[in-house]
Amino acid sequence: MTEYDYEELGLVAGLEIHQQLDTATKLFCQCPTRIREPEESTRSLTRYLHPTKSELGEIDDAALEESMVDREFEYLAYDTTCLVEEDDEPPHRVDREAMDVALEIAQLLDMNVADQVHVMRKIVIDGSNTSGFQRSMLVANDGEISTSEGSVGIEDMLLEEESAQRVEETDAGVRFSLDRLGIPLVEIGTKPDIRSPAQAREAAERIGMLLRSTGQVKRGLGTIRQDVNVSIADGARIELKGVQSLDDIDDIVRNEVRRQVELLDIRDELNERGASVGDPQDVTAVFEDTDSGVIRGALDSGGVVQAVRLSGFDGLVGREIQPDRRLGTELSDHAKRHGAGGIFHTDELPAYGVTEDEVAALREAVDAGPEDAVVIVADDPETAELAIEAAAERAETALDRVPEETRDANDDATSRYLRPLPGAARMYPETDVPPVTPDESEVETPELLTEKVDRYQSEFGLDAGLAEQVAYGQRWRLFEDAVDRGADATLAAQTLASTVTELRRDDVPVAHLTDDHFRATLELVADGELAKEGVPELLTALAEEPGMDAAEAAEAAGLGSAGEDEVRAAVSTVVERHDEQVAEEGMGAFSALMGECMGELRGKADGDVVSDVLREEIQKRA
Amino acid sequence: MNAGDRIHVERGAQAYEGVLLPSSTPDHLVVKLDGGYNVGIDREDATVEVVETDVYDVESAQDEEGTSTVEFDEALPTVSLISTGGTIASTVDYRTGAVTAQFDAEDVLRAVPDLAGMANYRGRVVANILSENMTPAVWQDLARAIHEEIEAGADGVVVMHGTDTMQFTASAMAFMLDTPVPIVFTGSQRSADRPSSDNVMNAVSAVAAAKSDAAEVMVCMHESESDDRCALHRGTRVRKNHTSRRDAFETVGAEPLGTVDYEAVREGEPAAAGSADEGGVTFRREHAQRGEIELALHDELETDVELVKFTPGTDASRLAALDDAAGIVVEGTGLGHVDTDWIDVIDDLTDDGTAVVMTSQCLDGRVCDRVYDTGRDLLAAGVVEGEDMLPGTAKVKLMWALANTSDVADTMSEPLAGEIQSQSRPWT
Ligand SMILES: [Zn+2]
Repeated sequence: MTEYDYEELGLVAGLEIHQQLDTATKLFCQCPTRIREPEESTRSLTRYLHPTKSELGEIDDAALEESMVDREFEYLAYDTTCLVEEDDEPPHRVDREAMDVALEIAQLLDMNVADQVHVMRKIVIDGSNTSGFQRSMLVANDGEISTSEGSVGIEDMLLEEESAQRVEETDAGVRFSLDRLGIPLVEIGTKPDIRSPAQAREAAERIGMLLRSTGQVKRGLGTIRQDVNVSIADGARIELKGVQSLDDIDDIVRNEVRRQVELLDIRDELNERGASVGDPQDVTAVFEDTDSGVIRGALDSGGVVQAVRLSGFDGLVGREIQPDRRLGTELSDHAKRHGAGGIFHTDELPAYGVTEDEVAALREAVDAGPEDAVVIVADDPETAELAIEAAAERAETALDRVPEETRDANDDATSRYLRPLPGAARMYPETDVPPVTPDESEVETPELLTEKVDRYQSEFGLDAGLAEQVAYGQRWRLFEDAVDRGADATLAAQTLASTVTELRRDDVPVAHLTDDHFRATLELVADGELAKEGVPELLTALAEEPGMDAAEAAEAAGLGSAGEDEVRAAVSTVVERHDEQVAEEGMGAFSALMGECMGELRGKADGDVVSDVLREEIQKRA
Repeated sequence: MNAGDRIHVERGAQAYEGVLLPSSTPDHLVVKLDGGYNVGIDREDATVEVVETDVYDVESAQDEEGTSTVEFDEALPTVSLISTGGTIASTVDYRTGAVTAQFDAEDVLRAVPDLAGMANYRGRVVANILSENMTPAVWQDLARAIHEEIEAGADGVVVMHGTDTMQFTASAMAFMLDTPVPIVFTGSQRSADRPSSDNVMNAVSAVAAAKSDAAEVMVCMHESESDDRCALHRGTRVRKNHTSRRDAFETVGAEPLGTVDYEAVREGEPAAAGSADEGGVTFRREHAQRGEIELALHDELETDVELVKFTPGTDASRLAALDDAAGIVVEGTGLGHVDTDWIDVIDDLTDDGTAVVMTSQCLDGRVCDRVYDTGRDLLAAGVVEGEDMLPGTAKVKLMWALANTSDVADTMSEPLAGEIQSQSRPWT
């Protein structure tokens, strides 16, 4: 990937990190924060939403644009959701636990906590909130984190309710699931202090680490989402939504910078050429006998073909501005926003069943010369007209600037147009919930994961890799607990970090293993009732039959720790079986026999003990 | 420093800039920051600097410019929209932070644009009160206003009312008015200032019902939690049975009188006169037909009437203290019983000319004081059996009966406006 001189380009970036909290109950009701499967839903309801004015009498553009479509929303409810999620009961008071976690995070980010926190309604009328707004509150502002390229300011931290999960589109609108609605979510916004792609990633990683240090954030796909704001000096402010993976953040920023640089380059080239955008016109006649599947399909169902001439655009519509995305893709995104399947443009034609003759006829129909490009949309008359106008408008903008907008992050670290930037005036007070006066005195500063890694090395003698694996994993509490109860730290760490991973790879259903299973297993080792070599086998047995007690399972699997007599007997048997080899090779036979001895004892004995006994037995006979 | 000023506040290490809101208290400044968030700042130790005065006219930001541009369409019926306040047309009060009613009927049209094209509207404000502040005097104003509207040619009346006491007002209208056109009460359980408010569907459905042929006083509210249908309840049989759900209103002792299919209404052709089933409005049972009876107003009320609920431990002296009342409705237990200690008090009350009507806190079912001794003693003491009337409805009816009829006992036992169902068929 091209690395630009970001300083010269005037790159300015900021992050918005959304992290679900792992609290016992939701932010505004006593329901658990549990994710369900849509199939488990026991009831459903349908609703419509109607836009309202904000507190200061303004209606937000983005909200209005969304409301143009009159959609029916269906909500799936569960035995773990209540009337609050259904917007049929007023919200309860702000969940104390969620507020405490938020205050902890504020402390980690070195922020100032508000004297009085007011719950607001942020208008969201895409159906993802049954109420038509998301409840959100400003808890703290003005913090700071450090990165290797300098400190990054934290603008604010919000505590808000997670939206309902979109399940699927329906004929009438959208189906949502209420399980996720109301899970506490913190949103952390940095100041626009980030100056390079690498710093963006580092800042996101740092914030992620701080969040996980609380031990009270949810883990797994979808529980943390990152938005990135990017602009360059001559470009525009772009909000990139929904980056799922931390590893992509630097690439997302690089690709956005590239997009803006390329778009500015295209603009300059267009202006040099004196380019302009024509008026859309109907060119259905050109494609009357077409064999292009897409166009044929549209025409056969009563559709039309609309075209617009882009004078002086030849070759630039097909210019790549991000990996596998062109200016044409941008035009297409705008056409799609108005319901069209996409566009065709002359830089990519003939193709898709459109013939050379048809392209020539098309150029003629719109009076386009060789230096011009033509964009077409085939769809029902209304959609085609809206879509071609949207594409033409975007082309017009290309002559002038990079447009400010909200974009959706794609999986390959590119992005696509989503909607205009949201305005600020879309909030009004949530009068059903009284303001909260945060009490910071009770909040403890958690140990950072980075500090934990250091401590695990110095205090427990773990190596750096293992210490990091445990500290950053989900079971560090369990690890500390097990060590407290006398488990060997290295064994406990290996069990909770690597052993579990290995078992998962071997398709052992490790999800069934509870904290108690691990605790009991490590306890059996500590009490000398289980050889540490028996741990994987015991965990496998427990994962397969989670109802069993660890001691029972060990017994059933024949994993009780063998006494020295039993070890000696087993070792003697092996050594006798190979007496010739032992006589010939002496200690040279050790490693060959060691494996066989361990096999004989089937994980019941500690390797060190077996090795000592084997050494003695060989010496006796050598 | 006034609400609407842009201020810069410094307090300790923190600095905020934004618009000062009227919701500020003596302890806290409430500031709307540029991002839209409100934040409370302790006044103590805060240094405030006014950056710019009057950035927002907070008080009038609510008032939308212009007036309704709905034109008169001769093909459409005329529906009178009467506002009494309540959540169907309410907004946030920034001083108290509570939701209050502020709109007049014209505002309702602007707030619910979906109503346009369904009818020609006449707007009228009778009161602007929260429904818990409703009084019999306002019922009288409302009855007179409805009477005037119908006289002036309204083909139907929709009354926007807060939900808390809607059933009482609806009952009062049912007794005070003989109506040749539908009178439909509606409101909203979720305030109108939220996108998910039930006000739009309820108002649209109420107008559809007001255009129907059922010349009844009805309550039109959500039938379920979904935005699919409204139930039409008879005003005298309906009860708010849930604090917050959209479908809080239920007909007690029967299925609702009718149903409005929202989707059909939204898509729909307007209901033509003479065919109640058009426009998505359907009825389960017989009802008074449009134009069947002549418009009349009987607006006298005896307000000295009490509703007393008996529960274990309620001392008979509580009842005795009401000896000045013109009428008392007792909400007894089971078939219509009270502690036997009450019987002598009731005897004295009726002897002194106070009408005492028995209803049941079971709500569902008919009072029958002939089954057990207590009941028989109550009858002997002069209690009137309130049949299967809802206690609240019985109170309103007693107010009306005392002022408008000579034989109160007879009136209280006879159905006048569907408040008594002589046959118990709760499944219909
Ligand atoms: Zn809940």
